[in-house]
Amino acid sequence: MTEPLLKVQNLRVELTTRNGTAPVIDDLSFELFPGENISFVGESGCGKSMTALAIMGLLPEGIGRITAGSIIFDGQELTELSPERLRSIRGNDISMIFQEPMTSLNPVYTIGEQIVEVLLAHQSISRQQAWATAADLLDAVRIPKARERLKDYPFQLSGGQRQRVMIAIALACKPKVLIADEPTTALDVTVQAQIFDLLRDLRKETGTSIILITHDMGAVAEMAERMIVMYAGRIAEVGAVDEIISAPRHPYTKGLISCVPHVLATVSDTKEPLTEVPGIVPSLREFGRDQCLFASRCQHRTEECLSARPKAVSFGQDHAADCWHAEGLS
Amino acid sequence: MSEKPLLSVENLTVRFALNRGGLFGAASYLYAVDDVSFHVNRGETLAIVGESGSGKTTAALAAARLVSSHDGKVVLDGQDVLPLEGEDLRQMRRKVQFIFQDPYSSLNPRQRAEEIVREPLQSLTDTSAPEQQEITDRLFAEVGLRPEQKRLFPHQFSGGQRQRIGIARALATQPELIICDEPVSALDVAVQAQILNLLSALQKEFGLTYLFISHDLGVVQHMCDSVAVMYMGKIVEHADRKSLFNNPLHPYTAALLSAVPTVDKTLRQKTRRILIPGDPPDPTQKQTGCRFASRCPVAQDQCRQAEPPLKEIAPHHRVACHLVDEKAVSPL
Repeated sequence: MTEPLLKVQNLRVELTTRNGTAPVIDDLSFELFPGENISFVGESGCGKSMTALAIMGLLPEGIGRITAGSIIFDGQELTELSPERLRSIRGNDISMIFQEPMTSLNPVYTIGEQIVEVLLAHQSISRQQAWATAADLLDAVRIPKARERLKDYPFQLSGGQRQRVMIAIALACKPKVLIADEPTTALDVTVQAQIFDLLRDLRKETGTSIILITHDMGAVAEMAERMIVMYAGRIAEVGAVDEIISAPRHPYTKGLISCVPHVLATVSDTKEPLTEVPGIVPSLREFGRDQCLFASRCQHRTEECLSARPKAVSFGQDHAADCWHAEGLS
Repeated sequence: MSEKPLLSVENLTVRFALNRGGLFGAASYLYAVDDVSFHVNRGETLAIVGESGSGKTTAALAAARLVSSHDGKVVLDGQDVLPLEGEDLRQMRRKVQFIFQDPYSSLNPRQRAEEIVREPLQSLTDTSAPEQQEITDRLFAEVGLRPEQKRLFPHQFSGGQRQRIGIARALATQPELIICDEPVSALDVAVQAQILNLLSALQKEFGLTYLFISHDLGVVQHMCDSVAVMYMGKIVEHADRKSLFNNPLHPYTAALLSAVPTVDKTLRQKTRRILIPGDPPDPTQKQTGCRFASRCPVAQDQCRQAEPPLKEIAPHHRVACHLVDEKAVSPL
């Protein structure tokens, strides 16, 4: 068995709010192996993006902090590194693509300058080499006439092209881990398909591990091998994508899969109402309580669910669900 | 479709001026909606699908007289809508209401929830204050909000609840047609299901007609009775739900469908992904030929020369493609 590239153990991240501190990530553990594609799924406010920010060391300063647990990347403990050392890893070994391609590029610099900036910050190459590499990168993310487009400003590009530039920047230093936080949410489906194809090809060529954060089960099914379903800062279910989709064990996972109207291969005349997951994600105040946080929305709720936090029940080698009734549901 | 449609739109064109013309040359226009015709039957849902910039929202806005159209005819319930003015226009507005995409920006932050729902009653109907209160109370129950929430401001609600307020507001004047412009795309998946089920239930209860604008084909397949696919201001395919999803004929429709990621493993292996490269061409440049030709995997010379008309190739199935004939076989 190969060593995991990234190992997160019992991570706890607390946010300070007006109502005290709340654990937005509560006892999260997972491993990412080289070349693997793992996906975080859940509604907004479940801690998916916070996980990414914690790994990147980009938690909002003064508000969010890691209070327990460890993040080991390539043998180094990230939570104990100095800001300088962390900066040299960030963007170099671990990089990130954000959700909003419209706002994550700087509007007053050309895209060429923005790619070159990353290269010069992390690699000891000449300016000339950096510009040549930047053109190659744009070419790699399939932007036509790459050399000329380097001189363009972000407003001159379409949404899909901007996201490609973001990917080019993220890949500039050949990172070992690429975190993609809802990379296609703001894009049209045909453009989304192009971006997914691009990410798949790049992974094949460079062997980069990808952490994909999304709320779209379809995207997970197409892109990832393993998935982690998060709810209210905790893991609800973890396992192989195919296995979870065909036999989800946690009621929340089941709800997430069945509440979305999926495109069917053949359409009949009947229209069934969608299965609803009633209610919404609990507020931060309720995070961290010693009970199942999904209980208020769950139809299988019993006394047990309200009295203690459920423990992970494992099914097979990698598949586990944090639910008191996981064994009864299938 | 023997019954008379509630809304029928004929040859609707909406253009925006890019340059007014005058001393420095001729005026130039962007045709956001170009010669578009469709109809919606009473009690049914027509979905308009397309990517951003395809003109789907503009077409709906023009049909509701919320942007002015350049040319064409819109008939609502037997009445020609475009020439209406004054009191007649006000009466027509009562019959057509809108549900907007963004529940965060489409509610006035300084009004209480009940005031938001009551506003269309005040401006479009002649109901008395006690009647308005009664209608508002009933609507709150109808869309699943609690009575004590009436006094709250929009920021005190979650996204899904805000969209419920928007739906209550749209229902207030007892409209016949509700235009839903991406009503769930700003919501979380679980909340999305709640709102879609609510819309379906309301449609059954009040016999509502929906013009449903969306880019999410899963949602469209779930909600609609018929679908119009738009690309760069033109309808490229218009068919009932079964024909369109079971036998998509226009290459663009097929590409759109194949691009949707799916959890169904067998479907994923079965569908061949039709990749359409690049982005749509610049809409400000007038094009000759089929607008999709530059990205179409099967484009031929005739596609680049002449624009294909939207022709009926099977009952309730219209396609604008040179390569589709009466046999109704996809050119791909």
